[in-house]
Amino acid sequence: MLLVIVSGLALGGLYGMTALVYNVMYSTSKVLSFGTGQFAMVGGICTAWLVLGLHLPLWLGFLACLASGAVFGWLSELIAVRRIIAASDEHLWVLSTLALSTMVQEAMAIWWGTDPTPFPRVFPQEFAGSFDQKFWLPLILAILMAVGLEQFYRHSMIGKLFIAMSEDSFAARARGVATDRMRSLSYVLAGVLGALSGFAGGQLTFADFALGTALGLSGFIALAVGGIGSSVCALVGGGALGMLTSLTTHYFGAEYQKTIAIGLLILLLVVRPQGLFGTTQVRHV
Amino acid sequence: MKHSHLRPVIVGAFALFAALLPYITGNLYYLHVATVIGVYWVLIATLNLLVGFTGQLSVGHVGLLAIGAYAFCLLAGGQGWNPFLALLTGGAICAAIGLVLGLPSLRLPGFYFAMATLAFGLIVSELALAEQWLTNGSVGMPAPSFPTPFDTPWGFYWLVLGIATLITWMTANLARLMWGRAMVALRDSTVAAASVAVPIYMTKLMVFVFSGFTAGISGGLYATSQSYITPDAFIVNLGIYFFVAIIIGGRGVIIGPFIGAAVLAAIPELVGPLAKYGTFFYGFILLVVVLVLPGGFGELITNVASRLRREPQVSTSIEPDLVLLRTAIRVKP
Repeated sequence: MLLVIVSGLALGGLYGMTALVYNVMYSTSKVLSFGTGQFAMVGGICTAWLVLGLHLPLWLGFLACLASGAVFGWLSELIAVRRIIAASDEHLWVLSTLALSTMVQEAMAIWWGTDPTPFPRVFPQEFAGSFDQKFWLPLILAILMAVGLEQFYRHSMIGKLFIAMSEDSFAARARGVATDRMRSLSYVLAGVLGALSGFAGGQLTFADFALGTALGLSGFIALAVGGIGSSVCALVGGGALGMLTSLTTHYFGAEYQKTIAIGLLILLLVVRPQGLFGTTQVRHV
Repeated sequence: MKHSHLRPVIVGAFALFAALLPYITGNLYYLHVATVIGVYWVLIATLNLLVGFTGQLSVGHVGLLAIGAYAFCLLAGGQGWNPFLALLTGGAICAAIGLVLGLPSLRLPGFYFAMATLAFGLIVSELALAEQWLTNGSVGMPAPSFPTPFDTPWGFYWLVLGIATLITWMTANLARLMWGRAMVALRDSTVAAASVAVPIYMTKLMVFVFSGFTAGISGGLYATSQSYITPDAFIVNLGIYFFVAIIIGGRGVIIGPFIGAAVLAAIPELVGPLAKYGTFFYGFILLVVVLVLPGGFGELITNVASRLRREPQVSTSIEPDLVLLRTAIRVKP
């Protein structure tokens, strides 16, 4: 039973981190990217390839993982978001991010193969059952990430600019904020955080090309449960979803794991579209 | 919309070509590809109403396709129903499921709706694997074929062609008349459409249920065309294919997505090495079209055609009828 709870919390941390990545991108661009989960997939595969395939040291793999996330985040803003936002069409970013995410996933499937492969151990620790690093690493990193993001938003200039842009992008631009550069920066940050979540959860999920879609969906559910915009709510939503997934796997078997989680999402969205803790926003005509 | 004399000629010529295709090519494989394109078109034609006209981005129609296929195989194969009755029942089941799925999810804004339908597609493929008593799990099940005149490849091709023509006709009628206006209006501005009394939610729901019905029909035909179905056949990538066909064809044009579907389905089948890169290729095309040509090739063709015809720019001005207005707003003593 302890194992069920611990693995639920670990999954929850992973989902929570993905929800945080959604939040970072949403704050500056109001775009919910389909490719959010792919950051973790690319980062995880990058580390597994460098460390287990090319036998490079782990710290190099870690740095390369973060770098791959940064590059991918920067590119996804440049390719899939910037022009769409400039054209100010409401729906097209769903398509462009879906297209980019599909391309990256398929490219990885062709290059890396479709079988999940193992991920290197991060710390030299014997396998320790419920207290193994593959369970506590994602959880601790998720909490650190949420705390760090909150500090970043409250106490750094760039973080305050992100907040200003999420409140009103035009007003921020009128006050002299370089909104394009800020958006680009927020995508780089999101890419780094996403790759970090892939690194943290690598031992739990393995380096798998299909991880991105699953994680993107679960992270989105966590976000929808918690409500967009808040780091704490993202973590709580992720934790709740992770526990639910783990418990349903334990009691009903792994084949119903998606069905129950997603069914719950749809139910929740019907009852409270703004999320459990979110507040409704009045839209002006 | 302007009526030109060219359009009926093109449509007629294409219909003649499609009807006589089995005589033109003796190659059974090409005939199979043409049949599959027709089967997909039955789904894409009405998905276009949903995605192109109404602007609801449904990624999960592959789930409805799977349900239609399994319903057809279970009813016609396992229960021994008449295949046509089973086909219609499969369509009805999918329409009902579309209603149940649409009731909550159509209230959601764009990305939420896309995610909800994506989730639906994933749930269906997961359940198709898990519920072994019903679907045989990953082993799959054979699909029955249609009775005598339609049991040869030629006969089945003509059956698909007939159904596809019927669906196209229905779709074109819907798009041309009141419903189509309502769909385009609510796609372009939901608030403006609501202010002129377009029933937003009901319109979306009607379109979704109709597209669910034809997705079920398409599923049954798909099962027969493949003659054996497994859960692997209904992966989310197929949903992305439907989607790309509509977007590159052009949103809000009836015939554009057909060209998109035909080209996209034919290229990997006819150029062997591309098959491996199929989905990557779809993603690439989708990205390029969204960035460079948001209206799709349909819009491009329309623009080029009007340029060629040298239609002068027409600007319409509306003169208010002041006398009528004055009598209308005068307060009666």
